[in-house]
Amino acid sequence: MKHPFSLQTRRDFLRTGVLGGALSWTVPAFLSNTFSALHAQAAESATQTATGKDSTILVVLQMAGGNDGLNTVVPCASDDYYRARPKIGLPARSILKINDYIGLPPALAGFKDLYDAGHLSIIQGVGYPNPNRSHFRSTEIWQTASDAGKVESYGWLGRYFDNACAGADPTVGVNIGRQMPQAFNARTPTGISLETPQNYRFISGHRGADGEMSADEKSFRELNQPAPEDAAMENSGATIGAIGGPVAHHGSVLDFLQRTALDAELSSDKILAITRRVENQAEYPATQLARSLKLVAQLIAGGLPTRVYYVSQGGYDTHTNQAGQHQRLLQELGDSVKAFIADLKAQGNLPRVLVMTFSEFGRRVTENANGGTDHGAAAPMFVLGDKVRAGLHGQYPSLAPADLFNGDLKYNVDFRCVYAGLLETWLKTRSEPILGRKFTPLALV
Amino acid sequence: MLSPLPAAKWDYACAAHLYNRAGFGGTPAEIEALLGMGLDGAVSYFVDYEKIPETEDRPDWAKPDPARNERVRDLKQMPRQAMSSDLTEEQKQEDAEKRRKAVQEIQRNQVRDLQEMRGQWLQRMAQGPRPLQEKLTLFWHGHFATSAIKVRDAYFMWLQIDTFRRLASGQWLDMLSAVATDPAMLVWLDQAQSRKEHPNENFARECMELFTLGEGHYTEKDVTEAARAMTGWSLDRIQEEYHYRDRMHDAGVKTVLGRTGHFDGPEILKIIVAQPQAARFISGKLWKFFASESGEPALIEALADVFRSKDNQFKPLLRAMFRSEEFYAGSVVGAQVKSPVHWLVGAIRLLERPMPPPIVSTEMIKSLGQDLLMPPNVKGWDGGLSWITTNTLLARYNQAATLVLGQGNLGAPGGGRPGQNMAAQLANAAARRMDPVDVNSIVSLSDRRDAETLITALGQRFMPGQLTDQHRQVLRDFLGSRTEFQDTDVRHAIRLLMCTPEYQVT
Repeated sequence: MKHPFSLQTRRDFLRTGVLGGALSWTVPAFLSNTFSALHAQAAESATQTATGKDSTILVVLQMAGGNDGLNTVVPCASDDYYRARPKIGLPARSILKINDYIGLPPALAGFKDLYDAGHLSIIQGVGYPNPNRSHFRSTEIWQTASDAGKVESYGWLGRYFDNACAGADPTVGVNIGRQMPQAFNARTPTGISLETPQNYRFISGHRGADGEMSADEKSFRELNQPAPEDAAMENSGATIGAIGGPVAHHGSVLDFLQRTALDAELSSDKILAITRRVENQAEYPATQLARSLKLVAQLIAGGLPTRVYYVSQGGYDTHTNQAGQHQRLLQELGDSVKAFIADLKAQGNLPRVLVMTFSEFGRRVTENANGGTDHGAAAPMFVLGDKVRAGLHGQYPSLAPADLFNGDLKYNVDFRCVYAGLLETWLKTRSEPILGRKFTPLALV
Repeated sequence: MLSPLPAAKWDYACAAHLYNRAGFGGTPAEIEALLGMGLDGAVSYFVDYEKIPETEDRPDWAKPDPARNERVRDLKQMPRQAMSSDLTEEQKQEDAEKRRKAVQEIQRNQVRDLQEMRGQWLQRMAQGPRPLQEKLTLFWHGHFATSAIKVRDAYFMWLQIDTFRRLASGQWLDMLSAVATDPAMLVWLDQAQSRKEHPNENFARECMELFTLGEGHYTEKDVTEAARAMTGWSLDRIQEEYHYRDRMHDAGVKTVLGRTGHFDGPEILKIIVAQPQAARFISGKLWKFFASESGEPALIEALADVFRSKDNQFKPLLRAMFRSEEFYAGSVVGAQVKSPVHWLVGAIRLLERPMPPPIVSTEMIKSLGQDLLMPPNVKGWDGGLSWITTNTLLARYNQAATLVLGQGNLGAPGGGRPGQNMAAQLANAAARRMDPVDVNSIVSLSDRRDAETLITALGQRFMPGQLTDQHRQVLRDFLGSRTEFQDTDVRHAIRLLMCTPEYQVT
């Protein structure tokens, strides 16, 4: 086991911790994974303790709607680009050059700064065989890492959780948003999903005095604790020993529910406590993506031993009048991520964190009649952090009309090679059982 | 196997269980009434639902709209015209703007119609006269999981649900044939675009893998050959109806599941349904939905035998299942996680309150993980334990407050979005307004005499057989030793009962 605690510590925790007493073999997954971090003293430490201390963290950033890769990493030396995009092509003189052929648009100045600081890598021409142009289906393919012709239920991160579950690794992923991303779907559901910490809790129906727990919340907590008769088992060494071990759901449906209820209560308390205690150390713009990343930075600083965070930014489905809209989106992206990186750096946590962006597809090479672009195929991905092998990966796909497939760019890096690279070299786990077969890991770290 | 439950074992708990599974749960009075019918009478009450007059609630918009569809077609052609004509840049911009607005309006109407449809369906589940028909319709919606996100036509969605409802307990081949030529399905699995030059295998594959046989019971070759046979099934998008296109059909020889001939789509469906595995597959799925995640192979085989011997009719299968001793086994009763839809509909029934406005009910089940008419993928909802995450569990607990205490009595739920103007916020709040539960329909005045009596009455309604001593103790502490309880006390106690792991199962 990775994080050995003495039995005494565990007993102390059980007596003095959030539960205030009784705990049975139905130890909640969250508790077993965050045992130390939940301890009153441990929670005060500035960086992740226990499971998270030396571990790396992956932040997945979804650009939902199909991001126009060509106007994100701009091939400003390509005549084909300007021929295909007489109206929305970005003028070469405005481009922040990466090399003679490509560069970033002014809206991504934040990314250019990160690139110059060696914190940004650009993976060019990412996609998959037999690309699907449906948002719905293509998102599903990216989320489950499946082949285009196969429908999978479990997400690639969910399979990572399932897989990591076999060891003592933490298994909890945190999604910032209302809906759990399909990428988190797992055989053993583990991820938590929250929009705002204020709503991720039992909301009292009473209006009690500030700082005082209302009567219904007190009762709620008692109702969602294991039954007292189970407490007798606390004294058996075997039961205590099970804490922190792999989580299995052999119990009845009710056991599972009780465990999840406890998980919910504890994670809710923990997250609320962190957000009250931890201050961000960078200025973020006032956008939704920035708010999400701000929260993630707080949770990392606060010692939540989560290894995977998931945030998303919507609006990339730019069929009409793309120019202004796309620029705003990229500005939000660049500025938010730049602030996030600065925050992590100030915390001292940057070396442990990578951010990966993705979108379900890129867009058609040729602009449409409405000053926008339609659904396409291959597009770039970004990976950001301190430890990333900064620079360019893959080849920029050719824009020559003869090289296109149905008007779309051809991919040259399978996105699953990116996943494999992050799983193998960053999260330090074998990618094959997670991705279903061997993909050559991209050397990102 | 499948011997009927002995009459002596038919009791209140059995009647409650039947109500939970064949319907969405019953109030104590409803369960008593069901108990009085005896096992066979009770099962017949659910299964022979055709005897109960049907309610008609077809919305005005649930019909083809050729005029709108022609407009949509024209809108799609507009940009091309604009390109070719010599309009000024300004006129082109104007055109594009007009088009964008028109498309937006059509999309808004779709969202509104779908919401109305969800509201109506939930209403039928909660208060309609035929609980099993609605439960089966929900089953079929999850089985042939079709999402409005791709179909993008509220009328098509309505039509499909109506088909499920009409054929819910009928014959397998009838259902399958209707689904194969159902417009929403033709769009959903791309069958409408399948032509002999490029057969699209999507429907043929999912038909065998997810709808009828299951993986391992057909070959890749069966899929490609079946896809060829199914070409020609198509759609008239203007009239919004199924349309057979002979010139798209591949009339050649195909070999599917061991049979060879000049098959067309309907013949393939016949061949599939005649497979013994087809009976096993759908019987197993019905057992899983209505009874238990685990079903012994011998039990599923016995159910499939009933199904086959009765000409692949669902009604005799359901009757045998609901009468069987196995259905009332200890491992089945109280061991199913309520789906979000069941959770909401069941709560409405137990609380004897009106269904929330469609905008609220839609968001409610969505926040609990089930977006009705928008299943996550063609496999449908996984169900079971996957309904429960820390997030959805907290959502259940907080939505319980909305249902019991009403909207506006809480700090967080309801409310407008930040940045909305005052008028929009007021309109929003009005659309979401919900009164608190009327406590008098749940407990009598004498039930409120003392804590003990009140707890017993509430326990019997909300958690029959599940109320533990711990629950009692917590509620006793919460209520205190008063002798008369206000409406709000009762409401808070109900909400607390709904905030237990035990309340989430059925």
